[in-house]
Amino acid sequence: MVMTRRDFIKKTAALSAASFVGLNLPFAKHVDQAGATDADKWVRGSCRLCGLGCRVELGLKGGKPVAIRGVAKSRTNFGYLCMKGMLFYKVMEHPDRLKMPLYRESKKDAFREISWDEALDIAAKKFADAKKEFGGDSTAYYGSGQALTEETYLFQKVMRGGLQTNNVEGNPRLCMASAVGGYLTSFGADEPIGGYSNIEKSSCIFIIGSNMAEAHPVFFRRVMRRKMDNKDTVKVINADPRVSPTSRIADMHMQFRPGTDLAMLNAMAYVIIEEKLFDKKFISDYAVFKSGKNTVDMDTYFAELGDYTPEKAAVICGGNITGDMIRKAARWFAKSNGTVSCWCMGINQRKRGVWANNLINNLHILTGQLCKPGADSFSLTGQPNACGGVREGGGLCHILPGHRLVKKEKLRNQVESAWGIPAGRIPPKPGYHTMAMFKAVNEGKIKAIWINCTSPAQSLPNVDLYRKGMAREDVFMVCTDIFPTLTTELANLILPTAFHFEKTGVYGCTERRSQITPKCCDAPGEAHAEVWIVREWAKRLARELNDPVIEQCVAPFDGLEEGYDLPKAIWDEYTQKLTKGRDSDLTGATYGVLEQMHDGVQWPAATEEYALTGGTVIKFAREYDPMAESHAKDDKPFQFYGPAHPDKKLWIWSRPYKGADEEPDAEYPFYLSTGRIIDHWHTTSMTGRIPELLRANPYSFVEVNPRDAERMGIKPGDMVELESRRGRVEMPAKVVEGPIEGMVFAYWHDMHEDRMINKVVKDAFDPGSKEPEFKICAVKVRRLSGPKRLTPYVV
Amino acid sequence: MPIGGFVISVDPDIREEIVTMLSEMEGVEVHGSDAKGNIVAVIDTETSEVMDDLVHGLQKDPQILSVGLTYLNAEDEIEKIVSGELRPEIPFGRKKKNRP
Repeated sequence: MVMTRRDFIKKTAALSAASFVGLNLPFAKHVDQAGATDADKWVRGSCRLCGLGCRVELGLKGGKPVAIRGVAKSRTNFGYLCMKGMLFYKVMEHPDRLKMPLYRESKKDAFREISWDEALDIAAKKFADAKKEFGGDSTAYYGSGQALTEETYLFQKVMRGGLQTNNVEGNPRLCMASAVGGYLTSFGADEPIGGYSNIEKSSCIFIIGSNMAEAHPVFFRRVMRRKMDNKDTVKVINADPRVSPTSRIADMHMQFRPGTDLAMLNAMAYVIIEEKLFDKKFISDYAVFKSGKNTVDMDTYFAELGDYTPEKAAVICGGNITGDMIRKAARWFAKSNGTVSCWCMGINQRKRGVWANNLINNLHILTGQLCKPGADSFSLTGQPNACGGVREGGGLCHILPGHRLVKKEKLRNQVESAWGIPAGRIPPKPGYHTMAMFKAVNEGKIKAIWINCTSPAQSLPNVDLYRKGMAREDVFMVCTDIFPTLTTELANLILPTAFHFEKTGVYGCTERRSQITPKCCDAPGEAHAEVWIVREWAKRLARELNDPVIEQCVAPFDGLEEGYDLPKAIWDEYTQKLTKGRDSDLTGATYGVLEQMHDGVQWPAATEEYALTGGTVIKFAREYDPMAESHAKDDKPFQFYGPAHPDKKLWIWSRPYKGADEEPDAEYPFYLSTGRIIDHWHTTSMTGRIPELLRANPYSFVEVNPRDAERMGIKPGDMVELESRRGRVEMPAKVVEGPIEGMVFAYWHDMHEDRMINKVVKDAFDPGSKEPEFKICAVKVRRLSGPKRLTPYVV
Repeated sequence: MPIGGFVISVDPDIREEIVTMLSEMEGVEVHGSDAKGNIVAVIDTETSEVMDDLVHGLQKDPQILSVGLTYLNAEDEIEKIVSGELRPEIPFGRKKKNRP
């Protein structure tokens, strides 16, 4: 029987899906024999639309992408993808792509197309003028967890080594800085100890502050599969003020007033100690208790938990929380053969985000649910390279590449030496963190800012306040991006960049895994890879400032072809010179190794031979981590060698419950929380241009609890006003048993002025991590009208 | 005319019921299922808009726990986009005031 091309493709699709669940389909042999091809070439890379690092293969025909399939042998996703990832090819071919540099002297003018020579000259002159007149700290770089590691690394190198400023920040400050703070203060080292594979060995999965079914659907599939395959033996707890699609698989949904989870987590610790569910030997061997600046004993710690007996905590938490529920959750957590906690922005985007992270980590240290298969305290990351590029590559104002603190002279000198620039060139003072940076823009202290691959004019909290600064005529703003955004609308210079698979580079995903995506298509028009843009800009900057040190920052990369050789040389410098011997050692993860891997390499991985095994699955455990062996200070199986704890111990923190920065009151009686919807990515500059995704959710809406809706006379689809002390929006209501009574939940992707929820959100931030409290503020809610026809909007 | 391969996961107790439901949907072919509640399906639609609507509808169904994509071929549609025959519909106008 002759098989048509479409029959062949359909059978290929069926076989692909069947192979993942071990089903044999009768036509497998016929498809093999048909000899038809659905693509000329398959190129392996990573999806870029969340932090999981799902591996995909892009199928090319005649040089154009025509098909996508998951990589079945990848340990990140075992071949599964989600709908966002499936449709990204439409971004590549989209007619709105930026193709030429655009410039305007005044922000009141229209943009005009200019040549790259002119564009780079202008960028160099403006930054040089700012440095000459106002000093290096009048310049700034604001990057992204979606930029490749090579890009972040090179930008920060030129800013620190060249312009002599640590004003290097990125949007990961808005999403996972509190997890960094939590890991450093609890475990002495950033990033999770384990990885995704713990899910398949766990017996209790504690999900808190994460709607993973929508934000990380492929990871949720693993959690779901673990539960469904072990219905009686695996417990899933979902703790969240909002019932979400993630709750579908939970044995228990703990619903509490926003922000009161600090009390709930303390109460779980209380139960663990009161009922002697803790791991005495683990604590004795590896942990100490901390209260403020003091080291205390367990009795003191337990006494400080006295305000959080389950019964007292239940009163604080409200919702459906009872003392018995807290006791049950603590018992499941402590007694299971392996407990994995998973959290995301619900924990991190908080005034007390670091403390909330500490309190989750406490539960794991107390119970010894760490460093063994099936147990981990696991922060999920929102962006594909927040970990790899920004946390590891030096993309925040206080850290240099390789987890080095700016404030430590010895560590600065190591970096200067690696770069071949004079000692003392990197300033000792950390730069502005994100909120301080945009405050400085508002105040005119920053005269030239480069914004790469992100849109702070939409993504900052209390955004109207900071848009005023970005709109200032005396602030020169460059944006590198693939599409117009609300931020490019405020720029002087827009530089068009290559997209994913149009350039080569590495992303480091949530589980410490670095994975390469190679260039296989050309970027449209005259768009360039960012690494080329930075190099060419820096060369001009050196001439403008007559500064050979700036030239030296990019000299090792001069003349290299931008598609592959240039990023490879940058990666080599970063990994070989700056991660060697650090806890994030990627010396073995060369391009050669990464290209061989179906997935990638989990650091530390000091040799190519070891990296080819996939690297370190569980940090600090001598059985799994060679660095634990080489850093061993005794014969114990776990060695917590992280750089932040001189005593090499895990720290159990006494942290009191403190509410949100802005709690509801008589005038603003509702909690507002915000989050992501499955179809859209951040500010919708990409997914809003994919009609299928836009049509599925063309505008933001607000979820209102049915009892609140009844009291206020709000019916499904009615237009509702949300007003805070900072701003107001109006959007349609969805009346649903989602948010707890007294709370509304709005999606944040919509860039329409009437519906941009970040105008309402408060810009309070965590005193340690400086991460803003996107998740909680106070609003008043008012019905405006019945349903109204709305127009979707993308800039 | 995109073609996608999917693993749709449901509670094993209702697998047969969902297989029947899916089999009756236009554009959906069910190729098999297993005792764990995994259903292997191919979705073949006229446009990716239709496919997305269909998948989105499945994701919203409280009985369906996960819709996992494993393969997508959109060659026909991409050829049309590249040739100019099909232009992705943008149901709104871009602001022109600042552009050349």
